Amino acid sequence: MNFLYPAFLLGALAVAVPVVLHLLRRDVAPDVPFTAVRLLQGSPVDSSRRRHLRDLLLLLARVAALLLLAAAFARPYAPEAAAAATRLRIIAIDRSFSMGAPGRFARALDIARGAVDEAGFADRIAIIAFDERAAVVAPPGNAADARAALGALAVGSGATRYGVMLGKAVELAAGGPATLVVVTDLQRAGWEGEARARVPGAVALDVRDAGTPPDNLAIVALGMQADTVTASVLNASRTARQGVAVVTHDGAPVARASFSAPPDTTVEVPLAWRRASTGTVSVAIDDRAGFSADNARHAVVRGAAAATVMVITSSDASGFFLLRALEAAAEGTLRALPVTTEQIAGARASAIADQSAVVLLSTRNLDRDARAALAAFVTRGGGLLIAASPDVDPAVVSAIFGWNVATLSADPAPRQVSLAATDLRHPMFRPFGSLAANLGQVRFHHAWRVKPDGWQVPARFSDGSPAVLERPLDAGRVVIFASDLDRRWNDFPLHSAYVPFVAEAVRHVAARHTPPQEFLVAHIPAGAKPEPGIQNIDGRTIAVNVDPRESSTGAMTTAEFRGMVEAPTVVAGGMPRQVHAEQTESRQNLWQFGLALMLVALVAESFVGKAQR
Amino acid sequence: MPSTPAPRALRFLDPAVVSRLGTMELKARTVVEGFLSGLHRSPYKGFSVEFAEYRQYLPGDDLSTLDWKVYARTDRHYIRKYEEETNLECHLLLDQSASMAYRGTAPMSKLEYGSVLAGSLAFLMHRQRDATGLMAFDEQIRFRLPASARPGHLHALLLGLERLEAGQRSNVERPLHQLAEALVKRSLVVLISDLLDDPVPVIKGLKHLKFRGSDIIVFQVLDPTELTFPFRGAATFRDVETAEHVVADPARARAAYLRGLAELTQRYEHELRGAGIDFVQVDTSQPLDLALLAYLSTRSRRK
Repeated sequence: MNFLYPAFLLGALAVAVPVVLHLLRRDVAPDVPFTAVRLLQGSPVDSSRRRHLRDLLLLLARVAALLLLAAAFARPYAPEAAAAATRLRIIAIDRSFSMGAPGRFARALDIARGAVDEAGFADRIAIIAFDERAAVVAPPGNAADARAALGALAVGSGATRYGVMLGKAVELAAGGPATLVVVTDLQRAGWEGEARARVPGAVALDVRDAGTPPDNLAIVALGMQADTVTASVLNASRTARQGVAVVTHDGAPVARASFSAPPDTTVEVPLAWRRASTGTVSVAIDDRAGFSADNARHAVVRGAAAATVMVITSSDASGFFLLRALEAAAEGTLRALPVTTEQIAGARASAIADQSAVVLLSTRNLDRDARAALAAFVTRGGGLLIAASPDVDPAVVSAIFGWNVATLSADPAPRQVSLAATDLRHPMFRPFGSLAANLGQVRFHHAWRVKPDGWQVPARFSDGSPAVLERPLDAGRVVIFASDLDRRWNDFPLHSAYVPFVAEAVRHVAARHTPPQEFLVAHIPAGAKPEPGIQNIDGRTIAVNVDPRESSTGAMTTAEFRGMVEAPTVVAGGMPRQVHAEQTESRQNLWQFGLALMLVALVAESFVGKAQR
Repeated sequence: MPSTPAPRALRFLDPAVVSRLGTMELKARTVVEGFLSGLHRSPYKGFSVEFAEYRQYLPGDDLSTLDWKVYARTDRHYIRKYEEETNLECHLLLDQSASMAYRGTAPMSKLEYGSVLAGSLAFLMHRQRDATGLMAFDEQIRFRLPASARPGHLHALLLGLERLEAGQRSNVERPLHQLAEALVKRSLVVLISDLLDDPVPVIKGLKHLKFRGSDIIVFQVLDPTELTFPFRGAATFRDVETAEHVVADPARARAAYLRGLAELTQRYEHELRGAGIDFVQVDTSQPLDLALLAYLSTRSRRK
């Protein structure tokens, strides 16, 4: 019997109190003042052996209660009981897609069944199937259940993660002695990005090799340009490999190309295909000897057309610098459409709704229809960039969106200020990084005054007034640049920061939230199947691909594997022993029995004491 | 027969309630008024009164006081008012020996209970204009207040009761004889004691008083512990007056003790009632109404 906190045993010294009281107690018949003593007749007091026996029982009950209390606080445990307990045998079998190589998983199952057969008669056996997740497919139980669970196992599409599996095994062992048999192809990639794992000393590790991974060809990435689909083909083989990559669009082959890949190299294979605006694309190769799950890669085609940005100008505000900047920085992703306020008057205002974003450089002659179309455009999710200038009337802008007229006002007098980004994490300024300081070189002499209530202010002028403001408006957003973008209120267009600033500002307002469409097996959304391919969830098409790290065939030896597992050194009095003791004590919970016995002793003391009175 | 006090009034007769009241005057007033309010159409009502005047009937007046002859003559309702008179002298004898200070499980000691009883009786007597006197004693007479019906006398008597402290051994016989010799007219004598001493001299003293023509009520005040002897576990029982001690196991000694107490009580009852003396045993855990009713009963007989 050991104690977790033996210092509490000092509390047992308290038994001296009842013992001393027992020895000192001599008054078997205490004095009781009374009146009618004359009427009382003396009677022999019960000081017989029976009374002595009662006293002794009382003393024993009190001493026992105190000893049990001290022992309960000291948290007793029986180490020999732990050793005598039935051993647990945990068999962890790798079911990552690399085990899908021909014959590999069958061999792994045979090894696992052999491990089950090796278990002792009284051993409990648990089965863990793991890839990047570890699932207990057979909880600790008998061999028959374990064999049944093994029979139902199949290869998955996940990637190997040893850390997850070891964590689950340690959890199952719950601090007790156990043997962990790991059946795996020992892929080195399974440790990628993971620190050495800690396994308690009570868990004996037994690593069994299911066979080194075979040569493998895999498509590890897919890129789509306007006229080309590029497949990154990994040759994880010891020899050069040749093959043919085939592109399918919505299931129909649309292009193919041959490739030749040197050993342990990734080659880019271009496949000529004019990109469609919608649909799904898959690129596949033929590699029957390797892993089948990584022979194809899938993608969803996003709308490839460049975002169109309507720039609303007027004869005085031509937007010359802005349009040139967009032309220079757009790289085909932005297409500027300059229109005057007259060109979107009346029924033609409906054209606003078709734009990705709108830049408002003038409100002169902006008629009611155009104003209403602008408000509706933003409400439905559109982005609007308003650049202050002599041609943009703050009152008109306020009226369009129903803002208080005091929200926006033009500077009554010139001022000399510069620009400073106050929120470099904002999408407009994030690309600038440390170069955002260059914005401070721009000199502004006119600007709007904007009350920032309810606005996010990612940039301010050097006098503290807001320079760039943004606020969501229903589904859309409005960004205000509080000074001119056409070199009338500042010299911004003459600075190198102008072009990237304009491009990022327009991209930002043109960007609309689109949910991700491509996932790895390990990170699929709810409702999706954990297997590679094109899937449809709630009317949304997604592409699921395998983790490319798993395509690697680099393997380690069992000794290297063991080297990655840090077994704590069992030092006398050291932490591991203490932890083991705590876990053993926690399982046995002997202190609860101690307290229960103490209560029994107290109840017995109460009864004996009552009988004595 | 008088009816039992109503439950609400009983509350004020409960020793546990009375013991929490402040002065003796308050205690006595509370007990007496609570007691009187609990009497329903008491046959004692109206004794010791003589006619004083007529008054016009008002709603709520007792119809029994309505004078029907006047009604027949005048066709109007008049009630008869009476004026109390007294010619009675009452002497309260209260034992203040050490044994009276004993308190077992009751809310008041016997001395406290006896004091409240004496105070209540004095209050009641004073309401009836009876002259009331007090004599407190142990083995000697410790406090004496001659009988009087003066207005301030009650206050002095209650103050004397309030200041009583437990004394030494008791000797009931001596004050009885002294009082018997001192009395010049028939009186009412109320003895309040636990009467745990030798009964022979006590009975002799009481008979002496009776022989002098006094009406006597004897209240034997006992604590419930004395009445039931509920002790457990062997103990040395030490007499609070004599320091005499007896080692006994209550389980074995209880029956003999209770038998002895019953015999003592029966002897008092037999001897005293034979001599025309009222004997009432009161339990200090019980309400005071029993003792007050005993007094009223004796008082009415005297009328």
